Amino acid sequence: MGRSDEELVEACRAGESSAFDLLVDRWEGKIRGACWRVLGSEEEARDVAQEAFLKAYRALAGFKKEARFSSWLYQIAINLCRDRLRRRRVRATVSLEELERAGPVLVERAPGAHEALVRQDLASAVRRAIAELSPEQREVLILKEYQELTFPEIAEALCVPVSTVKTRLYRGLVQLRLRLEQEGVGGAAPLPVPAP
Amino acid sequence: MDCQKIEDERLQGDKVDVLYGEADAAARARLQAHLAVCAACRQEMTGLSRLRADLTRWQLPRRQPAGRGIFLPRWLAVAAALVAGLSLSLGAAGILSVRRALALQEARTEALLAGERQARAALERALAAPGVASGDALPASLLARVDARVDERLRASEERQAQLFDARLARLDARLEAQRRVDLARVAEGLSYLDGQHGQQLARTNELMGYVLSQAAQKR
Repeated sequence: MGRSDEELVEACRAGESSAFDLLVDRWEGKIRGACWRVLGSEEEARDVAQEAFLKAYRALAGFKKEARFSSWLYQIAINLCRDRLRRRRVRATVSLEELERAGPVLVERAPGAHEALVRQDLASAVRRAIAELSPEQREVLILKEYQELTFPEIAEALCVPVSTVKTRLYRGLVQLRLRLEQEGVGGAAPLPVPAP
Repeated sequence: MDCQKIEDERLQGDKVDVLYGEADAAARARLQAHLAVCAACRQEMTGLSRLRADLTRWQLPRRQPAGRGIFLPRWLAVAAALVAGLSLSLGAAGILSVRRALALQEARTEALLAGERQARAALERALAAPGVASGDALPASLLARVDARVDERLRASEERQAQLFDARLARLDARLEAQRRVDLARVAEGLSYLDGQHGQQLARTNELMGYVLSQAAQKR
């Protein structure tokens, strides 16, 4: 079994630079995924993930042993995402990716195309509903549902009590359920049966 | 039927603990006891479980295979989009305005010609009237007055049309100038944003290079 994150951090502090490469390999995909879900842009997510690792490397000396490396890394990444979102609100720019996504979607006319379309609709509805959550609820939901962090890890990453994490998640889930019910998609509504 | 304890934060915590498999025995027991007597919460838990299944449908996009399409740096793509947008807006606005002005001018000319045709027809009718057709020549002074009147009206009409056309052209110029300034301001704003982005990217690249070099030096 490989070394734990904390052992790799210690090794890195002791001058074993390749240890940090192992940490990057281990966490880069997850951090980028979390950033993508928060920011909605793959390109920005890649930038932010890269920046997060750079920040983490430079601040490694100040990393407290009692904290989890992953939570600390998520904390850095989420803070960077918040900065990006703040700047985006000021500028109100639309990324090219978003413009492309808004364009027409070609649906392959093949067996299973109807199911694919329903799945795509549901995925879009889920994405829209999550985007409507408050930033605090969205962060908790993403870290729990898609990054599969434990409640204490999320609390550590967001610097809030565990009870706050649970309350935000519960309220976010309730709001999502209501939103999807209103749209009539997902488990709240039966899937339409395609005509034979 | 609503639950009286729906706002109870401990109950909410127990629900998410159970939903995500992190509940301890005490939390599970508390929730089970509550669900046994609360239909609203039973229904809610069922709905939230289904919701979790729906949430898995939002997947990260698959990476595009290498070699498809042309990759442009983001700043270059944004600049290209800005320039294209500017050209389109200037071109479209200009062409539409000029075409409208020309169409209006054409309509006015057509109206003038129609008026002149009517005047000519009226004059011909007057000349063909019985008194005139009998061979009596019209007095030269009358003809001269008519000619002078026609010339005067034509000149006045031409001047009026010229003034109107000049005024419309001046308004068109002013609008184009205003549009140009707005577009230039947008381009300047976009470029300053791009400069900032590019600068940040350069700074990050420099930092990364510094990191790589320092690591290489340490290895040596």
